Amino acid sequence: MIVSRWLTRPFKARMRGSAAWFEDRTGATELLHKGLYEAVPKKGGWAYALGSATLALILLQLFSGIFLLLDYVPSVTDAFTSLDYLRTSDGFGAWVRGLHLWGSYTLIFVIGLHMVRTFLSASYKRPRELNWVTGALLFFLVLGLAITGAMLPWDQAAYWTTVVVTNIPHYLPFIGDGIRTLWRGGEFVGPITLTRTFAIHIWVLPFLMFSLIGAHLYLLRRHGEFGAWVNYSTDPNEDEEKQIGERIRRAEPPYPTKRIARRYSAPRETVPFFPDQLIKDVVMSAVLIAVIFVMGLISGAPLDEPSNPATLSYVPTPEWFFLPLDQFLVVAPTNPLIAIGVFGVLGIGAALMIFLPFIDRSPERRPLRRPEVIIPALFMAFTVIVFAILGISRLYNL
Amino acid sequence: MNLRILLSSLQPVGGSVLTNGVVVAIVILLHIQIATYITGSSTLAIVSEAISMARKDERHGRLAYMMVKSQVQIFAFGSATAILFVLFLLTGLWAIFWTALQQITFWVMVFEAAFFLVEIVLLYSIYANWERLGNHRRARLGMMVLLNITLWWQMFLIDVVASFMLTPNAGDVSILNQILNPTALPLTIHRTIGNLAWAGAVIAVIGAFNYLRLTRHSRVPTPDAPAGLRPLRSIGAMAVGHLETEAKRAEILHWEWVAQWGVIWAVALSLLQPWVGYSYAKEIQLHAYGAWYTLMFGSLSNVFLIQIFLLGMIFILGSLFFWRRMVRSGAPGAGRQLALMVALILLTLLAIQPAWFAGSYADAVAAGGNHPWWQGGLLNPIGNFIPFKVAALIGMVIFGLWSVTSYATALSRGHIVPGGSSRGAQRTALILGVTVSLMMMVMGVLREHSRQPYTINGEITLHQQITNNAPSSSSVDQGQP
Ligand code: HEM
Repeated sequence: MIVSRWLTRPFKARMRGSAAWFEDRTGATELLHKGLYEAVPKKGGWAYALGSATLALILLQLFSGIFLLLDYVPSVTDAFTSLDYLRTSDGFGAWVRGLHLWGSYTLIFVIGLHMVRTFLSASYKRPRELNWVTGALLFFLVLGLAITGAMLPWDQAAYWTTVVVTNIPHYLPFIGDGIRTLWRGGEFVGPITLTRTFAIHIWVLPFLMFSLIGAHLYLLRRHGEFGAWVNYSTDPNEDEEKQIGERIRRAEPPYPTKRIARRYSAPRETVPFFPDQLIKDVVMSAVLIAVIFVMGLISGAPLDEPSNPATLSYVPTPEWFFLPLDQFLVVAPTNPLIAIGVFGVLGIGAALMIFLPFIDRSPERRPLRRPEVIIPALFMAFTVIVFAILGISRLYNL
Repeated sequence: MNLRILLSSLQPVGGSVLTNGVVVAIVILLHIQIATYITGSSTLAIVSEAISMARKDERHGRLAYMMVKSQVQIFAFGSATAILFVLFLLTGLWAIFWTALQQITFWVMVFEAAFFLVEIVLLYSIYANWERLGNHRRARLGMMVLLNITLWWQMFLIDVVASFMLTPNAGDVSILNQILNPTALPLTIHRTIGNLAWAGAVIAVIGAFNYLRLTRHSRVPTPDAPAGLRPLRSIGAMAVGHLETEAKRAEILHWEWVAQWGVIWAVALSLLQPWVGYSYAKEIQLHAYGAWYTLMFGSLSNVFLIQIFLLGMIFILGSLFFWRRMVRSGAPGAGRQLALMVALILLTLLAIQPAWFAGSYADAVAAGGNHPWWQGGLLNPIGNFIPFKVAALIGMVIFGLWSVTSYATALSRGHIVPGGSSRGAQRTALILGVTVSLMMMVMGVLREHSRQPYTINGEITLHQQITNNAPSSSSVDQGQP
């Protein structure tokens, strides 16, 4: 009955009717409208495209990861062979592996840039503290995904990475050995280690990650994009209070942001997310994805010899993004110092990073007015860069 | 004498300890002080010029010009010391070693020399046309950047030579191995940072010196002693007086600011050196064990302590300078700065503990003192590198960082009163400059002596004999305390 009535109506009306029906049941259009037509700050849009680029790259990882899953076998006997098959015999296999690897490199780079930009613009200040905290946790999850992913091919590089990395918890006092045994599935690296690492890589970490991304984006929408200080300047020739008051009165949702210094509660000028910001987001993501496709095709992903626990001469070289950490271990020569270095210095560093919004509580937003965080951050950035360069030099001269 | 006979009997010019060692050292140390200032200040001049352009800050514009001018003034002298060193001292007194090194690092040296030409052209053009280029500041800045790049590359190339002498990669002389020899990049990073710190220190000295000069004879009559004269201690007080003109006051303000700017660079950049220096030492340990052993356990270990002492002094003097300025300005956080200074003093005291009360570890063992002093021995376990000195160094970096940061924060919040400096603070800046200079000299002595008995580690000895010994075999087996 319903079907015949639907079929007998003119095409246009039929479509309109269907859309209304769907909208009635799901509220999809309204949702889309809400999602697209939101005010964002006018100045600095390219910098704000880094967040969505991060999201795009994560989705690309999910996509290429699903394709890898179609062939990969998480067992010590077959993991290498299955990837070797992908590399040599499958038409697009090598490319897909390249996509996943270069996707991860680009992701780490871009998430780093996103972090630097939100740090510089002090976007983490009241009331966006939790945007930062969820973001920082996401950053560590991405690193965790990168390192567990590096273990899965079970070639020489992967095997020795696994040996080194699963050993790190052991330096923790009291509980360290327990964690190592739990991860390795015994005293030593073996078949269960791979299965567990696989489970962590494809299930545990992504689950946490997507939950956190949900929270991160919800918070973003709740408080509105802060942007950067350039959007909150006032004309020095006119009454400042009046200008700010005017701005707040005219603000479009989600502004004015509550629980914030009045000056920073509404940007001077906004643009709608669609199309102004979205076009930048799309361009930035598309360029990055294109780069990944090209690099994945040209350079692919390496596969060593099959793992051989009996070799003594193999020197595992860390991925570039772990070079600073590796160099850090080199300068921490003895066991107690490794424990202090890794869990003391790095642990404190990570905690300071996660809880940054609760440490830096001044209302200042301009970088030059926040030397109390900018100088230590510069120091850390220098240290990381210098350690990376020294790490490269050391590996060259091994 | 017949020319042919002369040629066949060619030997290095006979020299004494004085010429071969001391004169060479003096010339090269002088050269290093000048060259590092030029290289470092060329970067700082760019920073100042860029700030001056972006924020229309006249002080920075003036400082940038002063730095360029000072580079011009000493460039010829610095190059002349290099020429004296290379052309006469090395070629004459160290002929065999130098010829060998020249042959090995030929291309590196050729480019090293070629950069002088580019630098001369750029530096003198920038200086001579400074005013004229004032209407094209971007172009001028671009030229300054180019100059900086060439200076940096020149430093990098000479670092390749210097580091190759210490870690010659088991004699593999391929050009890539020269350039990436194990200590080339660590040394380069160490020097890049050191140049900036030294340039900051020189600027601090110039600022402080001018401040002290301008305020030397200032006397302000005090209300309660109209006949007597009280030495002027701050500009704030001076404002009450009537002896100073506005122009002079502006000058004093400027130099006070220059000194502060220099001190911040000198201290902040030095904060990175323990990390970098530590990694550098690590590479020496891995690739030139003999030299490393001499530095840490052998005859140079006590000189190394002087080095650490000077490093600690840089942080302490920095903190003292900051504290004095904060107290005078009544800035919040002055008490914390004082506490940081005390902590830095204590940490430095910990870091400079000798590990043995003898010339070297071997001496302590030879004298039968291979046990702690509280058991009547010559060893001092509190002076052990692990964990005490490592902890002290980490602490020095953290507290030093805190000290700079808290001053910079006070500055950005407007808590530091311009013109509120005491003469004592400026004297501190002077001493800081001298400390950095001393540290560079001690470092030079350490570096050159650690290789002994080699000029190229393991390959050519001080007596200019070519050897095939592995460099590390001499003192490897002496064990560690
Ligand atoms: C999976 C990783 C991440 C995704 C998908 C993501 C996504 C986004 C997106 C789409 C935005 C809005 C656009 C923009 O401002 O760029 C945003 C904003 C923000 N993100 Fe992330 N982000 C991630 C990681 C991080 C990390 C590592 C941090 C910092 C530790 C961080 C901190 C922030 C902050 C503070 C904002 C608010 C910016 C503002 O309002 O101005 N995010 N994020």
